[in-house]
Amino acid sequence: MSVLHVTSPHVRKPMTTNAVMRHVIYGTIPGLAVLTLLFGWGTLINVVFGSLVAVAAEALVLRLRNRPILFSIKDGSAILTAVLLALAIPPTSPWWITVVGILFAIVIAKQLYGGLGSNPFNPAMIGYVLLLISFPLEMTTWIPANLTEGVAASPSFSQSLALIFGSVDRTVIDGITMATPLDTFKTYAGNDLDMLRSASVLQGSIAGVGWEWVNIAFLVGGLYLVARKIITWHIPVAMVTSLFLLAGLFYIIDPDSYADPIFHVLGGGTMLGAFFIATDPVTAATSNKGKLIYGALIGLLIYVIRAWGGYPDAVAFAVLLLNLCAPTIEYYTQPRAYGHKKANSGIAKS
Amino acid sequence: MSRQIWDIPGGIHPAQNKIQSLQTEITRADIPAELVIPTQQHIGAPAKPCVEVGDKVLKGQVIAEGNGFVSLPVHAPTSGEVIAIESRPIQHPSQIDGVCIVLKPDSNDTWGARHPIDNYQSLERNDVIDAIRNAGIAGMGGAGFPSAIKLGIKPGTKIEQLILNSVECEPYITADDKLIQERADEIIAGLEIMQWLVNPQETLIGIEDNKPDAIAAFKKATANNNIEVVVVPTKYPSGGEKQLIYMLTGKEVSSGGLPSDVGVICQNTGTAYAINRAIHHGEPLVSRITTVTGDAVKHKGNYEVLLGTPVDALLAQAGADMSAASRLIMGGPMMGFSIHDASVPVVKVTNCLLAPTTEEIPVPAQEQACIRCGSCAQVCPAGLLPQQLYWFSKSNELEKAEHFNLADCIECGACSFVCPSNIPLVQYFRFGKGQIRKHKSETIKADHARERFEFRQARLEKEEREKEQKRKARAEAAAKKQAAKKAAALANPPSDASGSPTTPGTDDVADTASNATKLKSAWASATKRWKDAEKALTIAEKNGSDQLEAFQKKVDQLKAKAEKTKALYEDAKTSAASTSPSSPSASPSPAVAPVSNDPMVQLKQASADNFKAWKDAQKKTQEAEANSADNLEALREEEATLKAKSDASKAAMKEARAKEKEAMQAKKATEDPTKQLKLDAAIARTKAKKALKALNSLDDDHASHAALKAAYEKALATADNADAALKAAEEA
Amino acid sequence: MSTVESTATDNPELDLPSTPKKTSSVDTKKIVSDGLWNNNAVLVQVLGLCPLLAVSGSIVNSLALGLATMFVITTSNIAVSMIRNYTTDTVRLPVFVMIIASFTTCIEFLMNAFTYELYLVLGIFIPLIVTNCAVLGRADAFASKNGVFASALDGLMTGLGFTLVIVALGTIREVLGQATLFDNMHLLFGDIAQNWTIHIVDDYKGFLFAILPPGAFVIMGFLLALKNIVDKKLKERATALADKPVSGSRRVRTTGNIS
Repeated sequence: MSVLHVTSPHVRKPMTTNAVMRHVIYGTIPGLAVLTLLFGWGTLINVVFGSLVAVAAEALVLRLRNRPILFSIKDGSAILTAVLLALAIPPTSPWWITVVGILFAIVIAKQLYGGLGSNPFNPAMIGYVLLLISFPLEMTTWIPANLTEGVAASPSFSQSLALIFGSVDRTVIDGITMATPLDTFKTYAGNDLDMLRSASVLQGSIAGVGWEWVNIAFLVGGLYLVARKIITWHIPVAMVTSLFLLAGLFYIIDPDSYADPIFHVLGGGTMLGAFFIATDPVTAATSNKGKLIYGALIGLLIYVIRAWGGYPDAVAFAVLLLNLCAPTIEYYTQPRAYGHKKANSGIAKS
Repeated sequence: MSRQIWDIPGGIHPAQNKIQSLQTEITRADIPAELVIPTQQHIGAPAKPCVEVGDKVLKGQVIAEGNGFVSLPVHAPTSGEVIAIESRPIQHPSQIDGVCIVLKPDSNDTWGARHPIDNYQSLERNDVIDAIRNAGIAGMGGAGFPSAIKLGIKPGTKIEQLILNSVECEPYITADDKLIQERADEIIAGLEIMQWLVNPQETLIGIEDNKPDAIAAFKKATANNNIEVVVVPTKYPSGGEKQLIYMLTGKEVSSGGLPSDVGVICQNTGTAYAINRAIHHGEPLVSRITTVTGDAVKHKGNYEVLLGTPVDALLAQAGADMSAASRLIMGGPMMGFSIHDASVPVVKVTNCLLAPTTEEIPVPAQEQACIRCGSCAQVCPAGLLPQQLYWFSKSNELEKAEHFNLADCIECGACSFVCPSNIPLVQYFRFGKGQIRKHKSETIKADHARERFEFRQARLEKEEREKEQKRKARAEAAAKKQAAKKAAALANPPSDASGSPTTPGTDDVADTASNATKLKSAWASATKRWKDAEKALTIAEKNGSDQLEAFQKKVDQLKAKAEKTKALYEDAKTSAASTSPSSPSASPSPAVAPVSNDPMVQLKQASADNFKAWKDAQKKTQEAEANSADNLEALREEEATLKAKSDASKAAMKEARAKEKEAMQAKKATEDPTKQLKLDAAIARTKAKKALKALNSLDDDHASHAALKAAYEKALATADNADAALKAAEEA
Repeated sequence: MSTVESTATDNPELDLPSTPKKTSSVDTKKIVSDGLWNNNAVLVQVLGLCPLLAVSGSIVNSLALGLATMFVITTSNIAVSMIRNYTTDTVRLPVFVMIIASFTTCIEFLMNAFTYELYLVLGIFIPLIVTNCAVLGRADAFASKNGVFASALDGLMTGLGFTLVIVALGTIREVLGQATLFDNMHLLFGDIAQNWTIHIVDDYKGFLFAILPPGAFVIMGFLLALKNIVDKKLKERATALADKPVSGSRRVRTTGNIS
């Protein structure tokens, strides 16, 4: 008989945290594939390279904190952070961008707060925002998707490697980079409609050339997560719906200044944010009602920042701001417990 | 079926694993070599054994009687001899022992007298309920609440639904399923008795859709009556009482309330069967159906087991290989307890024995950090947020945990089941609940203590006031007495120090302290005085004083007195031996006054004794107060008296001192003035020195500093004066 | 002000020499160690964060603000100490603020006159020295209870402690932010410092985060952590030393475990 005192329940579902992380990484595969197809090997290289850096950084901090290293690395959360960050940064970002972002995400945003489960902010988005405000130039130089008019082909594997790790004269890339569709729209909408209509990144597409496919791929991956019950539908649906409705409202009011809702929903990082970033359970609200509010507010903030803010895309900022609100949302959206007339809300008076 | 089924929130679908134990019919378990029957197999007070070791008992005979309202009797499961009544390990989450009656079966299994009730409808309802109680029937689903209490509804309570809980949602367990398949008619008969008892508007049977055979059996058995079989979808934990009530009626039992509050009574299948056996056959609850299953068991199936059968005997019969088992679970895999001692007996609530192999139920993985995935909240049937409760329980934030309704957790284990981080959530919640319970009982205790304390304070204040009044009265009386005495004393003042022995306050003195002690000290002081005087005499002789005569006379006088006192003391000692020490006030000391020749010493002594007596009495009173003795009043009164006396004697002493001074002055006139003055001067100098020393020892404290300085100066001045006087006298 | 008081009561290291009658026997060593390390205005009391985080983008800015603050703390401490016996409790705070404001105005005019560019760069943060809690904190907690010399020393040391931390912060931020050291030092030291700039990495992209206030917060956090680590190590060493059995005539415990 085992000496270990085991209490009920004695059976457990086979799903583990490690499996959760693994499934989320699987869920990013369609998006990763489309990004690679459209923008070359850069994203894939960044994902692999970033994962290595993340694991190394995690191991280092765990060692400093005297925590079991292998046990924590095996949960895959560091790799997931690296993957999400690598998917968000431009495919041609130099290697040190990835290193700085990952280090900040793992060391400061995650481990200094106590490691997995204790971080108040999404580490990948903290890393992304750090990079965005520190290196605005590098972070906004996207090469156009190879479907764009006048763009021959995306960089080959060796070209991508050279762009990321080599000391290539950056001006070479600068020659082929273009503003992202959201950026283009932000620049010209409302003041220079001709330029807007003639911008090549917006030609023949519904949400910027290539970007609708990227978003659809992430949507597919996200639906896989919902189907596997890794995430629930609440946050993505609430977020996309609120973004869509707001965009629709302003598009109806002034179509020249505001992009159409489809452009918002399938443009930029919307789907990546909706299914993979905002749903990070550690930093999101957990009750179903809370998740709906949380998602809807993220959608609202994304639209507000995209339409009137200083940055073309806003998923990271919106998610981080709502991370901040998650505990409050949690306190006020407790479900009604069985046998109670109404739900408790707020914090217990102590 | 047109009946609406309300869906409970959450819930899980663990692997059923029921098929293994459904392959065989119910087997009658062998009578073991020894039956261990715990006196507590139900919720409530343990039963009181009513047999002696060595008694021969028959099957069904009461061997322990119910002890109070929430309690049940225990019956002999078979005929045999009581061989021990002792503490044995029993099935308990905390692995504690309980009082058990150990029965050695005689293998005849002879029934004692049975009293079947043929026509229960003709009886009073209470009589039928009593019969159920006397049959020792407890809820057989798991909690073991006495069924008679549940059925004994308050008059005027309207029961809308009577629900038979045949859901059996825990994996592995098929005890009810098999019982229904084989004895549905008997269960329905039991249910009809309950129906008659509580008279519900409708009677429902809740059963999960994974038991088609049982459903068919029930349908057949209920074809001719108004009982409705309601099939609910398979989902754990729909067999929870509150969950089933909601599923079938849409009613929620309010938090902390009972099902009967919403007009529902819910009983278990096994209970219905047991009630049928008790009423129609007169058989008390002495056996039950228990599922023995798990991959370590060879003959998986349901066994009709005598209560008290040790688990290992049952497992041996089922061919269990315990070396292959990862653990032994009493109950189902979701809510059962793992047991560590296989000799524990099967009791009324033991519905399953599970001996799984390590492959079947592996050792739990290491706990990981909570990632707040919320799976637990998704499956919680009570609508709680386990991830928050976990956090609060872990950090001991009990108030927040209560605010998040920890008390409504039914410990079904669904949250732990789904937790990807392998966190034993239920264990945390049990801990948290325990802490809250502890905290609450402590609060209640503290409140009681505070009330007691406040009451005591009020009482003491009242007594203090009364005492104060008494004291005042006494003091007035004493003052009057004093005045009278003073007048008397003034009438014939003492001529010298060894003059009139009549001293004020002697009466009081005599009353207070023990006579012998007093005399002893009187004797001691007299002897000392005599010795001192003798010394003084020798010095005087050496110095060639001219007052030798006087000295000699005094010494003689003192000696005589000392001897007299001694004699008196010896007398008093013998008499004091017979005097009770607890009543010092009662012992008089008439001999003191004539004995002492020095009123000052006498008075001082008396005062000290009085004071001591008072203090003793006070101490005694305090002790008595602490122990809340009943002679408190008497003691207090005594204390007050003693205090008054002590005060009086003090006053007397002061007065005597003043008188002595006068006497001294008078004496001075007759004696050599120089000597006296010299003495005075020397005393004054010593005093001054002392004051100076004290002054030097504490220079920080300003207040006492000033006071001491004044004292010092005064002493110095006195010394100077004395010196001057001495000089003048010498010159003179 | 409540910050100052609460830190003062919470921190056992904050014991101020509280014997007001003998100013001559002030423990100068303690004042120095308190001001620089044990009770550092920034690292322990965490005061004056507003200018600290806003201005510490480069060494020159840090140094300038640090020196200005040091000047104000020292002079105001002296002034407050001198009038300490003539101010009642009720009016002391307004009086102190007036004094501090006067000296701040002095330094503002001085910087306007001699380091005009720096004056422009630091902008509002020079007048804001008035509101620096560290300044008023020292005036109220120390200078109003101690003699002129002790107060002057305390002001100097507190100011120096503040300056050292802000310069350290400025150095780290300058290195991380633009990979230089002593950039623009001529603003403070005149033409002689024109060539002091050291470029650590050529072709540095610039790390804007370090220059922006959030970066200051993070680096500040690391500095606080560093201080705590050092203190912990020092304490460990001290206890290790204290635990060492003294050889010689003293009795040594021979029962139990001796490691």
